[in-house]
Amino acid sequence: MTDTEKTRYSKTETRQIRARQAARARMTAIFLLLLCALFFGITLVKVGYWE
Amino acid sequence: MTTTTHTLILPADWRDFWALTKPRVMSLVVFTALCGLLAAPGTIHPLIGFTAILCIALGAGASGALNQYYEADIDAKMVRTSKRPLPDGRMEHKAALHFGVGLAAFSVVIMGLAVNWLSAGILAFSIFFYAVVYTIWLKRFTPQNIVIGGAAGAFPPLIGWVSVTGDVTAIPLLLFAIIFLWTPPHFWALALFMKSDYGAAGIPMLPVVAGQKTTRNQIFLYSFPMTVAAITPYFMGATSIYYGGIAAVLSSVFLLFAFAVWRNTATEVEHMLPEKRLFKYSILYLFLLFAAFAADRMMVP
Repeated sequence: MTDTEKTRYSKTETRQIRARQAARARMTAIFLLLLCALFFGITLVKVGYWE
Repeated sequence: MTTTTHTLILPADWRDFWALTKPRVMSLVVFTALCGLLAAPGTIHPLIGFTAILCIALGAGASGALNQYYEADIDAKMVRTSKRPLPDGRMEHKAALHFGVGLAAFSVVIMGLAVNWLSAGILAFSIFFYAVVYTIWLKRFTPQNIVIGGAAGAFPPLIGWVSVTGDVTAIPLLLFAIIFLWTPPHFWALALFMKSDYGAAGIPMLPVVAGQKTTRNQIFLYSFPMTVAAITPYFMGATSIYYGGIAAVLSSVFLLFAFAVWRNTATEVEHMLPEKRLFKYSILYLFLLFAAFAADRMMVP
């Protein structure tokens, strides 16, 4: 018996995959937004804006 | 007859990437790093301090991810680790490697640019030490794995301190020494009641290679230099009597529990209560000791 990765998916499987991808994309977006805010803050500190 | 089954491989969930960073280990790393940062002389802007702690946490997460990438085969053989994302088949090995390397590079570069390059250098070395020296070199080949490998977990307070001062002095090295000497009794207590797990995975932990008696002797012996290191900041004049007293009491309880382990002769896991007690207390010990150190340095003039 051989085990191969599926290339055609049912509707339920497609939904599962899309849900996973959407959750990961959301987390990545949140992480990147927070990172932008952090970098902006670090830049302000480095240029002496808060001193 | 050959039949072909099709496996649905789902993309890894974000929670699997989170699990890859070993969040529970990270909490101790973040706490000790924060104590190092707070105890250091001098000042640091709160946002830069936050960035330093974030980079240390990300660096620890990267180390955890690279460790799990390399150890997926032995994790699968141990009950305690078999449900991790890689041995459980919830994630591709390549994804774990890319995540670990990416996170490591990111944490070091941000540390260097935002904080200072000495702390970035020590962070890079600590990731290398855990992922390569401990995981690849020591863990599978010597029962002294966690003695030398313990250095990897001892870097965070040193990095936290250097983030503020920009140089390495005796006190942060002492903080390093406390965790370095704490690691063997902490891990060997765990290894005693997880011996069958380590044995099944073929990891040469001390109880597997040298036996339980030798391990118990070593736990008790290591507790003494650890106690000396814990109290030394007071004798060096780095803290007040308050920290000295707290360190003495906490370390005395540690020695008492280590003595109970030394006296125990049980070979069955269900009779290893002193080992389980020492393991739990060792975590609390480190938290309280570092909290007392940081509080003393901040509050007592």
